[in-house]
Amino acid sequence: MLRAMLRDLRAHLGRVVMTLAAIVLGVAFVVATWVVSDSAAATVGGAQRTDLAALVHRESEDPTATDIPADVRDRLARLPGVTRAEGVREGYAALVRADGKLGATSWPDAGGTDWDGSQRFTLSAGRGPQRAGEVALEQGAAAEAGLTVGDSARVLLGGDRSDTATVVGVFTYRPAGHELDPAVAYDADTAARLLRPRDAAADVVPGFARIELSGPDERAVIAAAQAELGPGFEVESGSSLRAVREQASHDAADTIRKALLAFAAVALMAGVFVIANTFTMLVTQRTRQFALLRAVGARRRQVRRAVLAEAVVLGLVGSTVGVVLGVGLGLLAMRLLPVAGTVAYAVSPWAVLVGYLVGVVVTVVSAYGSARRAARVSPMAALRTDAVLPRRSLVLRTVLGMLAVAGGVAMVAATSSDRLTESTRALAMSGAVLAWVGVLLIAPVLVVGVLRPLTGVLRSPRPVTRIALRNAVRDPRRTAATASALMIGLSLVCAFATVGQTLTDTTTADVRASVPADAVVLRAATFGTFDDTVRTAAAAVPGVTGLAAPRSGAMLVIGPGGTARDTLFTSLDAAALGSALRVRVTAGDADLRRGVVLDRGFAAEAGLHVGDRVRLRFDAADAAGRVTPVEVPVTVAGLREPSELLHGQLLDDALLPDGVARQGGSVYAVGADAAALRTAMERSFAQRPDVLVQDREQVLDEVLEPFQLVLGLVYVLLGAAVVIAVFGVVNTLALSVLERTRELGVFRALGASRALVRRTVRRESVVISLYGGVLGIGVGVLLGGVMQYVILANPVFAMSVPWLAAAVALAGMALVGVLAALWPARRAARADILAAIATQ
Amino acid sequence: MTNFDAAVSAADLTKQYGSGDAQVTALNAVNVAFGRGELTAIMGPSGSGKSTLMHCLAGLDTPTSGQVWLEGARHGDAGRVELSGLRDDALTTLRRDRMGFVFQAFNLLPTLTAWENITLPLDLAGRRPDQAFADTVIEAVGLRDRLHHRPAELSGGQQQRVACARALVSRPDVVFADEPTGALDSRSGAEVLGFLRRSVDQLAQTVVMVTHDPVAAGYADRVLFLADGVIVDELREPSADRVLDRIRSLESVARGGRTSVGAGA
Repeated sequence: MLRAMLRDLRAHLGRVVMTLAAIVLGVAFVVATWVVSDSAAATVGGAQRTDLAALVHRESEDPTATDIPADVRDRLARLPGVTRAEGVREGYAALVRADGKLGATSWPDAGGTDWDGSQRFTLSAGRGPQRAGEVALEQGAAAEAGLTVGDSARVLLGGDRSDTATVVGVFTYRPAGHELDPAVAYDADTAARLLRPRDAAADVVPGFARIELSGPDERAVIAAAQAELGPGFEVESGSSLRAVREQASHDAADTIRKALLAFAAVALMAGVFVIANTFTMLVTQRTRQFALLRAVGARRRQVRRAVLAEAVVLGLVGSTVGVVLGVGLGLLAMRLLPVAGTVAYAVSPWAVLVGYLVGVVVTVVSAYGSARRAARVSPMAALRTDAVLPRRSLVLRTVLGMLAVAGGVAMVAATSSDRLTESTRALAMSGAVLAWVGVLLIAPVLVVGVLRPLTGVLRSPRPVTRIALRNAVRDPRRTAATASALMIGLSLVCAFATVGQTLTDTTTADVRASVPADAVVLRAATFGTFDDTVRTAAAAVPGVTGLAAPRSGAMLVIGPGGTARDTLFTSLDAAALGSALRVRVTAGDADLRRGVVLDRGFAAEAGLHVGDRVRLRFDAADAAGRVTPVEVPVTVAGLREPSELLHGQLLDDALLPDGVARQGGSVYAVGADAAALRTAMERSFAQRPDVLVQDREQVLDEVLEPFQLVLGLVYVLLGAAVVIAVFGVVNTLALSVLERTRELGVFRALGASRALVRRTVRRESVVISLYGGVLGIGVGVLLGGVMQYVILANPVFAMSVPWLAAAVALAGMALVGVLAALWPARRAARADILAAIATQ
Repeated sequence: MTNFDAAVSAADLTKQYGSGDAQVTALNAVNVAFGRGELTAIMGPSGSGKSTLMHCLAGLDTPTSGQVWLEGARHGDAGRVELSGLRDDALTTLRRDRMGFVFQAFNLLPTLTAWENITLPLDLAGRRPDQAFADTVIEAVGLRDRLHHRPAELSGGQQQRVACARALVSRPDVVFADEPTGALDSRSGAEVLGFLRRSVDQLAQTVVMVTHDPVAAGYADRVLFLADGVIVDELREPSADRVLDRIRSLESVARGGRTSVGAGA
């Protein structure tokens, strides 16, 4: 029995290849996901510091404190059990690029350190710095600045200094605990001379940031260090630092894996449709064979098991190929990803195991329905020439689908208000997903409902289109399954495109409304923020008529009822609001002299209205560094739309008590002559690599860039689902052509040329693909509408339809149709007329 | 055959399958002509080569050697075509425009209605059906009220009548019918044969029919008997009884021949 089935499988290798392709792609995607996340974990975790018994640093609020004097290191070095005590220097340092501005790969506050022989550094080129005028660069930072060994590097340093040195080496860094990778390393003496915090006064002589201790017995070293130093210092064990890195790498891997697995799940879902559909067709074609088996005495269970065994074999074969391909793909992805530093490659046994599990389970689950139907074939069918499987009714499926769509729409409708909470967001999103599943269920009925009337509307004089359309609606379930596989990937692509388009449009409108077209914008080049010198220098530039330098911090808003809410504030010069920077007011007005301007969403959440009296509570530090809460009573002057450029609640600079911490990285300036102002600004900040001089559109591009990157990645990942679905179209056509051998022979005998037969098959393919495309795009845009509503709290239909993406997707689907038909159409055209009409 | 107005003719038509020891000669240098406006039946036992002959005549199969001519509207006309030199596309066009087919298994396209099936060859050629002629054909096959049904909704006899209408509607030079009654009960079969007969008598259609049924052959103007790839006999104005007699005598000759061969060995 089993042998008979396996022989059969081997005899129809061509038919199973396509099923295998779907399994292979699905499995490969999952395995690649696993390999990428494992490798990313290994990369983030990197090699551990095994030479570290303990790390000593000041117990301090300031992470950039570098004030451990040399004698502390000397005292520690003399302790019993300590074989090495190394002081580590740290200071503000950033590489200046060829364009005179800073890059953004490393954190400049911890950007410079001193070279030593510890495991911190691993050279990838050249040698370590030995004397003044030499510097070694971290690999990622060097790549960003375009520098290699032998080049001259300009480094921006703390205390308003900069240094030019020859690059003698490129290294990768092995951080301990929460350390960040530095960008540059100097030899010990030069580091002592150059490295200091950004705002350090010129006469400050900094000490060490931390002291590394080595020794054979970690506990003894820690105990001795703690006894020697007493309070004011913190001693971390080498093992706890390693645990921190271990955890960080696990977290990173987990985040990556979760995100990627979501895409893998989508690809697998498309795969399930393709595999299930292919199995259905394979079983349908072998109806007579099953009937024969039943007639000669095979029990139902035996037939069912045989089909499932076939699925297991296919699953195992497909998984094996998929695992190999997936490992290859994963490693390739790691090589291509723009990861700074050395990339570690890791393939865990889990990756392989999950690959096999997914491949076999998905295949068996997909084949289960077919197996049951095969077993239900009556032995009588063997005696008939035109044996067909009984058609399953679509009623239950359609009713369930309709209910799902109706329920989903109701869930979205029920939550529509402008006050979205976590639970209403979740409900709306679940509703959208439910409706999406519903559309998958009613797809076969839609095939009949959409394509059949089309055959009447298109009164084509040529038979090609008519026959192609008729063939497409012939088995609505098959066409729907094929189109659904396409729809899954495509609808998600379109949903994200819709969200992306909406975000882009919203952000563009926001930035254009907030910043005047002729404003000059100063922005911090790195993660950094501006110090006061930038504001002062900008204000002193000739021609400036308005200057807004928003800075943000944390505060508490206490409403009339006494409830306090944590929120962000942004303070700026009241006079500048409306000239250099504008807000879109929804109620009241934007005059900061009259009070606070609240974010519309925050006001709705807190139940605050224009005219309400609120108290703002800030943490203010006095000259001695003591922090005390200060309350300021104020009126709500107005409400505004949220903005990418201005976060939280807006206040007048003058309103803010002294000593409240706040930071800002942008300054907006307007003047009578925009071009002259820009030139003047560029000249004033030519010697400030950390200050970028931009116009409004450059700011916009920079704000939009991360979206575009993420969206690009999302499209690529969802593309995998579409690729799998394309195999489904090929499968459906190839098997349909096989089924219609006789019909095609007659068609040819009656005078249809080969080209005509090819065209008919191709058109059928295009019809199926376009149906999937239209369904996918339509559903995707609506899904995107709900997604942007959930994310941005815009009304559902306020989404921006991504026309370009939709047009590209539709054209792509037409192309998919043509490509998928290439092989089946050729096969159909080659059909032997005599064999076709002689078969009896 | 010189005073004989042929619609299709073949000279030295030979068809061999396989090679070496396994070589089978299905047609052995057959010379034959089919009269215009006649219903000719080709008879013979299984394996006699009658289907192969028809397939070669219709350009569905390629002969090993020999020629097939499809004559023009009149003898010696410019429309005379020799089939063996034609490429696939030319043959396809020829089949579409100048031949009609009726198969044993009806072979209608399941997704098209009866009317669409009938006009398919014209559709493929991009021509509009001659409505008056189409009406005549449809009236003759009695399918007026069935035109918008799919094949699955028609009986076997009805399907075969649709196939006949499809073969006739383009007014081909010749209609090839391969066992047209093979899958029908005797009443439906008689209807189809009557219809083919009338198309010859009233529309001057040329029909070549392969059959093993003496009753069907009785409808023909002329019957050719084929055995082992050679035309062994011919009968004009046959009746079913005369056909049956001739078959019996041919069979006894064959048996006698085989016996004598067996005896000689």
